[in-house]
Amino acid sequence: MNDRRRVNGPPGGTRPPVYASLLETGTGAGDRSQRQRQPAELRKICMHDDNLSAPAYQTNLWHFRTSVLKTGLIPSASGSSYLEFEPSASLTAARANPKSLIPPSSALKLACTVHGPKPLPRSAAFSPNLVLTTHVKYAPFAARKRKGHVRDSSERDLGVHLETALRGAIIAERWPKSGLDITITILEAEDDRWWGDAPDSHDASWGMMNVLAGCISAASAAIADAHIDCLDLVAGGVAALVSNDSTNSSSSAPRLMLDADPAEHRSIVSACVVAYMPARDEITELWLKGDSSKASLAAGDQRTGHEALIDGAVDAARGAYTVLAEAVRESLQRAFDQS
Amino acid sequence: MVSAATVAPAAPQSLSLPPPQFARLQPHAYLLAHLSPPVASNQPSARANGRAPSQFRVTSANSGSLTHTNGSGMVRLGDTTAVCGVRAELLHTEDIPSWSVSQSSNANKRRRLADSIKLSGQSGDHEETEAEVEEDRAHIEDLNLLVPNLSLSTGCAPGFLPGAPPAALTQALSHKILSLLHSTRLVRAEDLRVWYQPPNLGPEELERHNDEEHMDVDADEAESKPAEIKAFWVLYIDIMIISLAGNPFDAAWMSVLTALRDTKLPKAWWDVDNETILCSDSIAESRKLSLRGLPIPSSFGVFEADAAAGWRAVVIPDGEKLKAEEKKGTVQKWILADPDGYEEGLSQERACIIVDKEQNGKTVIVSMEKHGGWTVDTEDLRQLVDISARRWDEMKQIMDQC
Amino acid sequence: MVGPTASLSTLNRADGSASYKCPATGYDVLGAVNGPIELPARRDALKPEDATVEVFVKPGNTTAGVGERYVEGILRSVLGKVILGRERGFPRRGVVITLAIVGGDAVERGDSYLTILPALLHTSLLALLSAAVPLSMTFSATLLGVTKSGEIMPDLSAADAKTAVSRHVLAFSSKNHLLLNESEGRFDFNTWEQVRERALSICQELTMPGSDGDVAMGDESDGSKVDGFVRETVEDRLRRDYTWKIDS
Repeated sequence: MNDRRRVNGPPGGTRPPVYASLLETGTGAGDRSQRQRQPAELRKICMHDDNLSAPAYQTNLWHFRTSVLKTGLIPSASGSSYLEFEPSASLTAARANPKSLIPPSSALKLACTVHGPKPLPRSAAFSPNLVLTTHVKYAPFAARKRKGHVRDSSERDLGVHLETALRGAIIAERWPKSGLDITITILEAEDDRWWGDAPDSHDASWGMMNVLAGCISAASAAIADAHIDCLDLVAGGVAALVSNDSTNSSSSAPRLMLDADPAEHRSIVSACVVAYMPARDEITELWLKGDSSKASLAAGDQRTGHEALIDGAVDAARGAYTVLAEAVRESLQRAFDQS
Repeated sequence: MVSAATVAPAAPQSLSLPPPQFARLQPHAYLLAHLSPPVASNQPSARANGRAPSQFRVTSANSGSLTHTNGSGMVRLGDTTAVCGVRAELLHTEDIPSWSVSQSSNANKRRRLADSIKLSGQSGDHEETEAEVEEDRAHIEDLNLLVPNLSLSTGCAPGFLPGAPPAALTQALSHKILSLLHSTRLVRAEDLRVWYQPPNLGPEELERHNDEEHMDVDADEAESKPAEIKAFWVLYIDIMIISLAGNPFDAAWMSVLTALRDTKLPKAWWDVDNETILCSDSIAESRKLSLRGLPIPSSFGVFEADAAAGWRAVVIPDGEKLKAEEKKGTVQKWILADPDGYEEGLSQERACIIVDKEQNGKTVIVSMEKHGGWTVDTEDLRQLVDISARRWDEMKQIMDQC
Repeated sequence: MVGPTASLSTLNRADGSASYKCPATGYDVLGAVNGPIELPARRDALKPEDATVEVFVKPGNTTAGVGERYVEGILRSVLGKVILGRERGFPRRGVVITLAIVGGDAVERGDSYLTILPALLHTSLLALLSAAVPLSMTFSATLLGVTKSGEIMPDLSAADAKTAVSRHVLAFSSKNHLLLNESEGRFDFNTWEQVRERALSICQELTMPGSDGDVAMGDESDGSKVDGFVRETVEDRLRRDYTWKIDS
């Protein structure tokens, strides 16, 4: 297919490089990065000056020394935010002392802009509410496999999930006949599994769920930055049931992990994303995937697997909320300083 | 936001609108008031954003922060932000329909030549023969080895719909970057070639880097079995304009430069058993691209004082007369370096000068464009080239630091 | 050297049209102008006090791609400044210029369009004249190359352009303003000044009515008289169109 509106590559197509080390051992060179965090500990979105090591600082795209959920970076938009996760320990180590060209894991990086509220185009039908349009696009270089320029089904899917998550929070009646465009560009996405693992039955697009959680938090910050009235800030959170055993023995049931990085675990059995409004204790979006029937919970815990999973995701969202609130406070402070 | 303090003295006291609204309603008068303050006020002429006419915005660059790329760079030019990621993929020669044996063996002669020069340690400066230049061009341009694409549909500015096909500006910028990559010959074709030496001395001769150590043995043996090109690296250069506030080209091109300077290609070889190209993931074995020069762009917009000129059928003075009037100062125009979005809307005439410096410090113009008006001529361009040369020094420092 | 050939109003349905053939590069361009016309689809984008100039470039062998968008942008900015879009009947309307590259080498991917730019500029000027769109000035353009030895070469062919160290397209108005400059390659400012001098003399010859074809201006080798050529083409057409009046 030749797209005349873009610069095209060789007509015969190209092949991604094949690494010999991967071919030789079958499982890949190097070790899988291990989760260094407690099961309930989240990855940091916020990084502070004092405890920021030099390599971590270098990996940070904008070279910010403070928080990495940042609002107002894109002045032409009415609201904007940028979110970046702290890289995993293995990635930080790989950066500090580079040996292999294959990155052990990746850290989510995304930019979100909000344009509006603006009048709907003349051709659009009357709407008594604010019309929300969401658009999520991966940069071609965001994932391990090169993405196309045209949105694929997973990107559309993310857009729909994001819209549902935000629609419940925005007070849409206040802007009749208006439109609000939310655009998210993902510069670096999460992996679906560790790169050295062969695809197996437990495979699903787990990375996408982490991306969605990030999208929700970032979009919420950007909407607040655009001063759109909302019921509450919406925070995204993920929890997963993971099994780290190589043997599939039934004795070790999958354990609950908050904010799991798929690259750090042998296999993810099921995962859940929520969009959660802490002040109202409401969930606006819930996405649960996989088999959550087996879970090893603490003794005396009567919850079923999926209940535990949802609770875990809500806990993760509460964690993201604290960072979100900080970013929004910063955005307001800036607005006050300007006026 | 423009601070109110700089506006008040520039505009008369009768101004009852707050500056931001005045700027929106009467953009031309607003910028003119800033650039030509009343003589009595003793204010220096400055732009609405506080910069001097030939001052660029604060620029920062950093590289290597995107994990899934072979090289990446981000450049911030004031509020304009461009992120560029370079991904390398392999184009096997068997996938090239018109690839002929003659082409590869032809190339082989030259490669040996290049190797011998490399051995004598002057690979950087040696004078390339015409045939080499032509082959370099043929490989990079005819095989589409460089694929730059720019994207503005990132929500970077309200005018560009996300999800819509690339706008005319996007396409024009992508083309300009590609055309500049070709005309500056920035990337060397040799860096992108994957060679294969058919074995005749033993397995250790498989690897290309060994060639150099065994050069003396290799030189005569290779006559029987010439090395051939098995594949090319194709560089997919994707530029996302994250935030657009004027002058997207400068930001985009500099992000491409930063990313290409950061790009590491893995060592690749033809594996006979698998009949495919394999790569080594070791960083020690990978190599960086050796780029030809560092072309730095400087864009300018021309702001003319007489906005009403377009309204009437004015008699446009002759070229000579125009120069004379300019000397007297009756025709007022300002050449604004690195225009922001607001200034871009007010200037029709644009100029873009891309310069490079040779090792002896001599400025070389790589590209010079101007169109959209008739006020800029030799004298102005001479000054702009000087400004661009100074900009080169500044940018070189910024790029070397990242 | 053979001068360029052109004819006006070759198409019947367009408001104005012209075909132009450049002998050196071999490009043959057919241009059509429609204007002033309503552009209903872009009502929001129209400027209230000015005409909207639209340029479309169609390559001979494929559909238009990114390169065409780029060259259209350059042409639009040059022509937009030359067309008097505020004259009566033009504001809020469009002038649409369509240029089809009928003959000559195909422009390759990533090519800078410098070789074809003068032909495109001349065709659009002639087509605009044919459509009687008010212009503030006429102009002429030329392509020059500088060889390795520093020699300035006029009348570049496409092959010459590839080997030249730097390539320059300059357009001058009938009043000697520098309207457009596109240079690429490697050169310094002094070289460019020499190029400008040479280009100006070539373009002047093309604009000035060389009273009966041949007035010695500069050396003969440059002699493709760009601007005078424009005038001659228009005069020829007028003479043909008004034969009934002149004869009577």
